[in-house]
Amino acid sequence: MAIDGEKIIHAVMEGSRIRESKGIIPLFGVYLSIFSTRYYNQLSFNFQKQIHPSREVEAERLLIKAAQECGYATFQGVRNSWEWDEIVKPMIESKEDQIMGFAAVAVAFGWGDLVVKQLIPDEKLVIRVNDSYEAKGFLDLHEVTKTGKCFMLRGVTAAFMDLLYGDGYPEGCFTFSAAEPLCRAKGDPYCEFIARKSSY
Amino acid sequence: MVKMNWKRELDRNNHQVVLSGQPVAIHCHHYNINLQKTLEDTLGEAGIQLMYKSTEEAAYHSLKPLLAQYEKLKTVKSKLEMFAILYQNCGLGIIHPQNIENGTGLVISPSSHHVTGWLAKHGRRNTPGCHFTCGWLAGAIEAIFGKPLGTYSVTEIKCKMMRDAECLFKIEEC
Repeated sequence: MAIDGEKIIHAVMEGSRIRESKGIIPLFGVYLSIFSTRYYNQLSFNFQKQIHPSREVEAERLLIKAAQECGYATFQGVRNSWEWDEIVKPMIESKEDQIMGFAAVAVAFGWGDLVVKQLIPDEKLVIRVNDSYEAKGFLDLHEVTKTGKCFMLRGVTAAFMDLLYGDGYPEGCFTFSAAEPLCRAKGDPYCEFIARKSSY
Repeated sequence: MVKMNWKRELDRNNHQVVLSGQPVAIHCHHYNINLQKTLEDTLGEAGIQLMYKSTEEAAYHSLKPLLAQYEKLKTVKSKLEMFAILYQNCGLGIIHPQNIENGTGLVISPSSHHVTGWLAKHGRRNTPGCHFTCGWLAGAIEAIFGKPLGTYSVTEIKCKMMRDAECLFKIEEC
């Protein structure tokens, strides 16, 4: 059975409308918040600006690292949640289907229109996104640039592979790392993320 | 009593999640707290200010059009009430404004996303840590009182991340 993204979107939208008395949204094993994409973009892009120009690459690395750790912990929570068991697990036939489930959850979270283009088990994952909020947010505020700007999705792509093919949680984070060879912020028609085994 | 049609406000535009027509993202405490820690560890006070300013600006630009949409809300009290409901519905926590007059006053928060997330990931800290809420309150108060960004400053006096019983915020004019 293919992963039914619409079913997952429906579950997230309904679940995120449920709030408890403390104003917390506990869903898919994590605490969720809903806030403007403008905030996340301002944080990332201004962090890069504020750090010394000689450390711009380090800023990127830190943002990607934060996202990869987050993706690793978040989707570990997601796949161990009762919502996953109820809604997603029945659609999963192979280990690799989990990646399709993760991508569908990411779409449901409003991170972009993620499509898994290629998955070679334990080796390579290619995810394409036509409308990443990071690339769009960058272009809303800046000129076309020379490097990819979707730090969150880059880290998350690698985290998906870490969870499937890395050592058992929590040891497997950073087994993979991802590049973003194509990004709309660079003038490319879409953003593309490629995760492979880390070289270190 | 403020009535907000949450089902209408929180919707989808294809793959986008929109709140009152504006793009939002759903993120979890792992990401939000990782971002905060990265900013604090790397930039120190400048990182805190970056988080505050980014939240203030985003809240201001999100809440101002919302007020225009709910034009029947005339009093400060009703506008504050709606913003508190919105804050809660967005999973950000609970806020109780206390005698906000001319934009200044106190706000109590008995629980929040960032407190829950920080304590779950890092435990107690020695300095106030609700920079997000400080910025959000500043942007919200500026939107309600029709003042430009940067008019008010919000300081956290007590913080649950430091194991105070609740978070307490003081809003002052800059």
